[in-house]
Amino acid sequence: MRIGVDIGGTFTDLVMQDPATGQLRNGKVLTTPDDPSRGVLEGIGIILRENGVDPAAVDHVIHGTTLVANALIERKGVRTALITTAGFRDVLQIGREWRYDTYDLFISAVEPLVPRALRLEVTERIAHDGAVVVALDEASVQQAARDLAGQDIGAVAVCLLHAFRNPVHERRIKEILQAALPDCTISISSEVMPEIGEYERASTTVANAYVQPIFHRYIRRLSAGIRDMGIDRDLFLMQSDGGTVHQSTAAAFPIRLVQSGPAGGVQATALIGRLTGEPNILCFDMGGTTAKAALIEGQVPSRSTDFEVARIYRFKKGSGLPLKVPVIDMIEIGAGGGSIARVNRMGLIQVGPDSSSAVPGPACYGQGGTDATVTDADLVLGYLDADAFLGGAMKLDRAAAERAIEERIARPLGLSVVEAAWGIHQTVNESMAQAAGIHVLEKGLRSSDFAMAPIGGAGPVHACAVAGKMGMRRVICPAGAGVASAFGFLAAPMSFEFVRGGVAEIDALDLGALRASMEELEREARALLRGSGLDEAAFSVSHGCSMRYVGQGYQVDVAVPPALLGDGDRASLLAAFEAGYRALYGRTEAGMPAEVVSWRVVVTGPYPDLAPMRAAAGEGSDGAAARKGARLVFDGEAGDFVEAGVYDRYGLRVGDRLSGPAIVEERESTLVVPSGATLSVDDYGNLVVILPEARH
Amino acid sequence: MPSRLGPIQLGILWQRLTGLMDEVAQTFVRTSFSVVVRENWDLTCSFLDAEGRQFAQSSRSIPSFIGTMPRTLRAVLKRYPRETLEPGDVLISNDSWLGTGHLNDISMFQPVFRNGQLIGYLGGTFHTVDIGGAPRPDARDSYEEGLTIPVAKIKRRGEENEDVIAFIAANVREPEETLGDIRAQFAAYDIATERLLKLLDEEGIEDLTEVAEEILDRSERSMREMISAIPDGTFSDEVTADGFDHPLSIRCTIRKQGSELEVDYTGTADQIDRPVNSPLNFTFSYSVYALKCALDPTAPNNDGSLRPIRILAPEGCLLNPRRPAPVWGRHLSGHYLPFVIYRTLSQIIPGKIAAESGSPLWNVYFKGTDRRRRKFVRMFFMNGGHGARPTMDGPACLSFPSNVANTPIEEFENTTPLLVREKALIPDSGGAGKYRGGQGQRISFESVSDDPLTFVIRHERVKFPPGGLLGGSAGSCGVDRLNGAIIPSKTVQVMKRGDVVTFDTPGGGGMYPASERDPTALARDIDDGLVTPAAAASAYGAQPTDN
Repeated sequence: MRIGVDIGGTFTDLVMQDPATGQLRNGKVLTTPDDPSRGVLEGIGIILRENGVDPAAVDHVIHGTTLVANALIERKGVRTALITTAGFRDVLQIGREWRYDTYDLFISAVEPLVPRALRLEVTERIAHDGAVVVALDEASVQQAARDLAGQDIGAVAVCLLHAFRNPVHERRIKEILQAALPDCTISISSEVMPEIGEYERASTTVANAYVQPIFHRYIRRLSAGIRDMGIDRDLFLMQSDGGTVHQSTAAAFPIRLVQSGPAGGVQATALIGRLTGEPNILCFDMGGTTAKAALIEGQVPSRSTDFEVARIYRFKKGSGLPLKVPVIDMIEIGAGGGSIARVNRMGLIQVGPDSSSAVPGPACYGQGGTDATVTDADLVLGYLDADAFLGGAMKLDRAAAERAIEERIARPLGLSVVEAAWGIHQTVNESMAQAAGIHVLEKGLRSSDFAMAPIGGAGPVHACAVAGKMGMRRVICPAGAGVASAFGFLAAPMSFEFVRGGVAEIDALDLGALRASMEELEREARALLRGSGLDEAAFSVSHGCSMRYVGQGYQVDVAVPPALLGDGDRASLLAAFEAGYRALYGRTEAGMPAEVVSWRVVVTGPYPDLAPMRAAAGEGSDGAAARKGARLVFDGEAGDFVEAGVYDRYGLRVGDRLSGPAIVEERESTLVVPSGATLSVDDYGNLVVILPEARH
Repeated sequence: MPSRLGPIQLGILWQRLTGLMDEVAQTFVRTSFSVVVRENWDLTCSFLDAEGRQFAQSSRSIPSFIGTMPRTLRAVLKRYPRETLEPGDVLISNDSWLGTGHLNDISMFQPVFRNGQLIGYLGGTFHTVDIGGAPRPDARDSYEEGLTIPVAKIKRRGEENEDVIAFIAANVREPEETLGDIRAQFAAYDIATERLLKLLDEEGIEDLTEVAEEILDRSERSMREMISAIPDGTFSDEVTADGFDHPLSIRCTIRKQGSELEVDYTGTADQIDRPVNSPLNFTFSYSVYALKCALDPTAPNNDGSLRPIRILAPEGCLLNPRRPAPVWGRHLSGHYLPFVIYRTLSQIIPGKIAAESGSPLWNVYFKGTDRRRRKFVRMFFMNGGHGARPTMDGPACLSFPSNVANTPIEEFENTTPLLVREKALIPDSGGAGKYRGGQGQRISFESVSDDPLTFVIRHERVKFPPGGLLGGSAGSCGVDRLNGAIIPSKTVQVMKRGDVVTFDTPGGGGMYPASERDPTALARDIDDGLVTPAAAASAYGAQPTDN
């Protein structure tokens, strides 16, 4: 048995899979914020009991957690110190010096995780090429350790200039600190993320240090808990890049778990792509406060090493803590079911980026909220059923929704309530389509080559409309969208990325050294997965370089097999870069020298075999058996309400086909199928919607 | 007049147009060569309607470029009137008086046609590091400052105009970079044109006139409402710039009547024959930018919101110089404008403004040969402290009124034969106040080059510090040093191996009297080492403590 557990803000989701039959069981318990491991253990206990499974039969527990992100957002990490090169302790505070909003005179600076008094300097200096300019003065390290002793420090981060080129000083400092401060965990930048960029590297290293002791305690508790329960297995954890790792690796680099939940969701939709043979998927994850989009190209989620956590201003880039960690490349905007609609100073509808919190929430929650939200609009437009929200567990108040929209939007703009609701719905869809569209463009790709896979509570409600605006034709709504992250943990392979940085122009590059470094990384990576009990024959290894033209600030990641470097062939390396560059920008820059900025090796275990989960075939009906009734839903093309059949997702069978307008309801969400679209149920129980051409 | 476009369709169209300009900017940035464009987003992409009115631009635009774009287009169309334009044409100019006020900013426009009708213009302005010439802090006229590209068709019907291209290539030091950026604009315009036409098809509208008018009218109404909320009257104040041989006074009178507002710089010093003069376009854009931040920060920035605002500067003064005044460092006076405006507005709307920041923006150009024996020119930006706000401290080292990011030290050292010795906040540099100004920074560069390196600086706030407001103290002055000795702040110097040049950027001014500062905030500053105990006693009147 394999169990995936995802801790969310409200619920802890569980998915259990029997590899022999492919059968899946879901579970949900309330999250226990004071000690999240309690909810996890309780949930595992329940799902085992309910299904009569012996704890000893559990082979894998794969876990994702918001613990790391929350500790950073809520600033609840340990008291952390930073040790850095003499003269540079303020780099962490100065940041990049630009304002994340052009017109707001009242923006706040991002507060560093380490106060100035705990940022200490040591005498040393390494040059851009790794040469030691000033040798490490160990006495200055001893002095720093003495200064920190007795200051109630839980962790120390070390980030020296150019340490990504030459880690010798950082390593020695780590040894000295480990001896002098035995109760502290030590994070050094050359291990956490050895890439160029002193501010971002320091920020990442500090964040790793800041959460590490908390993470260690949590994993110890959880690990002991599952053993007490009779599951004699180590834990595996989901990283932000969609790969899982053994608990000991996770504990060394907890910062890599900062986006583990959303990464699970993306892996769930990537699995849909693999099962359905759809190579390119746009994962569209719309929840209560934000919407996220990620691209899965050729069945592999796109990766990035640029991430920002704990944004303090309208989800704007630049207003958070930058982290250079392997992540699934995802954009996030303030557009969710709870996003608040208002009339702005231009007399136009604006939705978000702020959202009504869970309490009182959207007006229709009937908890005293008066904000007109996206969910209120969706209810008024007939997309949601007041009696079927969360499987009927929560009754929605339609009159309250209408009142809020009337007061906040309709009256000020001289519109009817329905027109205003349609305006809210369209505005938020446009925002999402645009943000996702720019994301696709940045990668040099075309939206129309992708199928959308919506997850999250509000994803299926808005998916077809957003896909239409983006010129996409196919929407694949996976089964169990409400527990997608936990399910994604089961669908993800074990993997780990190793990176090294060092800037060198191709014509001056020591190809042999680069190859040797890559091979060394590969050896480390293989050892790591072997240590997790994986069969080496099943590993796949990918090697890549981040490259750019000299002087350019953006890098292009290109696959570079070591064999390419083997015969000292610079032209092949250049050609690989140019091919990658051309794919992104449609051209190359003749005569410009190119350089390698960093190189990485990702070693990946096999994808878990989830194929037997094929659902039982039905007769290929029109879904009549699943039809619960009909209701009026607003149709934008018609500009009026039209009658739509309402279907129970759990009653639909493989092979069923029906046409829009239609509504398919499941416990955690509702799929809105527009007029002119057709829906079919595929072999795996996914709902596949084909949109009519030329909808916007 | 009732609009055919309802508020919903208008809102969606507006969102889509802004999104489209973001796509153009993104496409351009990712394909551009100059570091300033890429790392600092020193660019703007706009859409202007058939009448040349700007109504949509990329979200992350340089404010000074937003203000100048429609004025530049107007000037360009004087040379090439609308009826002389054809699909695929691209117009270019960097004339300081027509463009953004100095030659390094290149502006380009491409007319957009639909069914044979011109429906608007795509416009872009970007900064290029080198534009030829020998710009020096002591240049006497604009001819020394580099190549002026007069208004020209750099593309005709989709074909590059080889003469113009060759002319530019022959006059700049890094033609690959400059031409690479120009061509990156071409590509971005082509994509934008295609997307724009598709958008019109999808929305089923003929052209953008009605959208533009609605957006402009609504922006105007919003600004008028905000202006109306201010008491009527005439208010004056001034700031003093370091200048060259003598200080330069910048005087501002704001006349506010009903829903209109006029900023008049009469009384400002005359233009001088040094490159600190700010052509009227630049004066205009920094003035309206400052007003917008204070009065109506959330509405879009376009021609409509500028209608109720007039900016006056007498011809021949520092803020409206006659040709051929040198203007290379026009920000050295232009960046003062938000501060003199806020100082004046502090008399009537103290809750909406900020104290003075440690700008005009500080930078340094290094020139020499790099480790691979190639010539290089690299610019390095270093921001001063931000002024205090009426409810909060000013952040340290934050770019205002420009918005320019720094270059990472590790990237800088990779491309230049220099070693950065220090980059640190300067204690006590933030002006004292109930709310403190942000700290400036100290940054030191050591030459590790066997060849002599030249550096060029032109720094302000060395004599007159960023002022505080309403009882707050001034921030610290900036200082330039070579091997420890103070050097002139506008100078060209040569460094040999081992020489160290050090820059202290100015700190921001404080707001309200220091005696009103929350003791815990002061204690935290002392704990952080950002206020020394001595300054706590002298500037804040704090009692020294034993520990």
